[in-house]
Amino acid sequence: MKSSSIKTKCSYIIMGLGQFLYGQRIKGLLYMGILGLYLWYLFTSGIGDMTGFFTLGTVEADPWLGTEGDDSVIMMLRGILSFLILGAVIIFYLANIKDIKETERLAGSGKMLPSFYRSVLAFVDKKFYVVALFFPVIGVLIFNVLPIIFMILIAFTNYGGNIVPPKLIDWIGLDNFRQIFSLSGIKGTFVKILGWNITWAICATLLNYFGGLLLALLLNKRCVKGKAIWRAFPIIAYAVPGFITLLGFKFMFSYGGPINYYIKAMGGTSIGFLDIDAGWRARIIGLLVNAWISIPTSMLLATGILSNMNNELYEAASLDGAGRWKQFTNLTLPFVVFSTTPTLITSFVGNFNNFGVFYFLRGGLYLDDYFLASDTDLLINWLYNLSIDNNYYGIGAAVSLIIFIITSVISLTAYVNSSAFKKEDTFR
Amino acid sequence: MKKEKISEVIITYLILIAVSLVFFFPVFWLILASFSSSGSIYDFDGFFPKSYSTATYVKLFSDTQMYDYPSWLRNTLFIAGFSCVISTILVILTAYTMSRFRFKMRKPLMKTTLILSMFPSFMGMTAVYLIMINFNMINNLWSLILIYSAGAPMGYLVQKGYFDTISNSIYEAARIDGATNPEIFWKVTLPLSKPILVYTALTSFAWPWSDFILPNMLLKNRDLWTVAVGLTHLGETEFSRFAAGAIFIAVPIVILYFSLSRFLVAGVSDGAVKQ
Repeated sequence: MKSSSIKTKCSYIIMGLGQFLYGQRIKGLLYMGILGLYLWYLFTSGIGDMTGFFTLGTVEADPWLGTEGDDSVIMMLRGILSFLILGAVIIFYLANIKDIKETERLAGSGKMLPSFYRSVLAFVDKKFYVVALFFPVIGVLIFNVLPIIFMILIAFTNYGGNIVPPKLIDWIGLDNFRQIFSLSGIKGTFVKILGWNITWAICATLLNYFGGLLLALLLNKRCVKGKAIWRAFPIIAYAVPGFITLLGFKFMFSYGGPINYYIKAMGGTSIGFLDIDAGWRARIIGLLVNAWISIPTSMLLATGILSNMNNELYEAASLDGAGRWKQFTNLTLPFVVFSTTPTLITSFVGNFNNFGVFYFLRGGLYLDDYFLASDTDLLINWLYNLSIDNNYYGIGAAVSLIIFIITSVISLTAYVNSSAFKKEDTFR
Repeated sequence: MKKEKISEVIITYLILIAVSLVFFFPVFWLILASFSSSGSIYDFDGFFPKSYSTATYVKLFSDTQMYDYPSWLRNTLFIAGFSCVISTILVILTAYTMSRFRFKMRKPLMKTTLILSMFPSFMGMTAVYLIMINFNMINNLWSLILIYSAGAPMGYLVQKGYFDTISNSIYEAARIDGATNPEIFWKVTLPLSKPILVYTALTSFAWPWSDFILPNMLLKNRDLWTVAVGLTHLGETEFSRFAAGAIFIAVPIVILYFSLSRFLVAGVSDGAVKQ
């Protein structure tokens, strides 16, 4: 008994050692291997990365003296990465402690310890969700979480403008946000774009959602013969890649395009549908083009969900004398909305941040009373103009944080209040 | 259900015809344009080319000096194919796990993905770009595959919604029969989830197939361009080349959609459990 608790304590100091001493060789070696790898990483570059995160570099490059300076951006990235790795190792360490306690209990009660193969099998069965989610979570951590943390941090630095590597970047606190809310040019642009962006997201989401649902219901009607053929046309539109559609529509509304050709043929003068002074004309074209692209998707989704509906419900409803409208509002709509609330929210956020439509239709236009934007630009387009085209990384990151706060507040309230979240198991 | 009246049938069909025209005409216009014998959009009679020929398609594959379409196509296929396979596996696993299991980290994970998905999509792009430079993976087709597949599990909600509609009693029955969780996933869930598998595979193929921003950012060499990047470099005077190139990559994906469309709309759960 005494010796076993010493073995257990070994695992507190060197993870995996205890398991190894208990005779679970492979598991112990794996744990120790992870620890070894981490220590190797820590002493070769890990510690430097962590301190670099706070200093963001101390040596500025000097081409005259030939000194190779610190690259603040890379240092910040490596710093974040080192903290993520630390977090992962801590999780492994905790798992190790839980495991050694379990092993000690089994050994203490005199039972045979499971072989490595057996315990892996048992783990895969009992903790299937851990195994299944391992790679998705790692992928999302590296390619979604890390970049997002990076951009959040950038919002609090003076990165951008003239200050790009090899110059050193510094932490500046909330200065970027102060600029957005006080500097008149930026503030005015922000307010105007925000107003249009919200209008756009609401209109586009409703148009696409109900357009798709109505189309699906229309195709589901009994009198419609050859459903597959009718369904084919929206599916063609769905299958054509979005950028082709957008560029195609841009050609269609261009000066040399067919619409202006017919206007001229009827004696009118050609209209710059997507010109710099187009205003609402361009906005509405954008809305319709976006509907053209998105309605087929929501039609397919609605069709799939409608096919999962229980037909007996309708038969019962019709026997009870419920009319078609009643059946729609009391049966179809609740069921469809229940099954699609999460999609509805994602599609709202997707439309709020719909980059493609106005980038392809009207990209690169700057209006005079806007700061590096035009009146159809959404916040996301403005963000692109700011950070990619004009190198305002710090302000761009601050804008994206504001976008995030707006979308998250709207959709979290909607999501938490939705029935799909509250009563997940109702329709099972 | 009662039979519909004649007038209603007529109106239904009229709407259907109108809708179909709206969806089909722009595509039809591009098809016509791809057969135009003149390249420029200014040589058209409205929607219709002045004269027709197949010369543009020949040019697309033979005149590769300026615009190397065959190599764009190879790159796009490579990226989309691999991303499709990897993302489908990851998304289905995530969605199934989130739908079927109840564990401590479940709600926090769901909330985290929800919050993450609310960040503007290319907010992280600049960062991804810098990461790729740091790991020396710029101008590499695999780096795109990695980014597409790694981000894919974020969009698991549609698939989770599907798995939510499969009745729990199927799983319980299998569990009583002594099946382990991997076995249940492999032998019970997967056969039941063909429609959603196909849906997922299609959407995760279509996304890299038609994405522009990421390849535009990460693929700087001309010979690594994807079709999307290449086609955006074609202006109004190369309109029919654009149309031909667009039609050529749209056709396979349209065919794919149609041959698999029965999976997209087939209900599956209604046959499995009769209550």
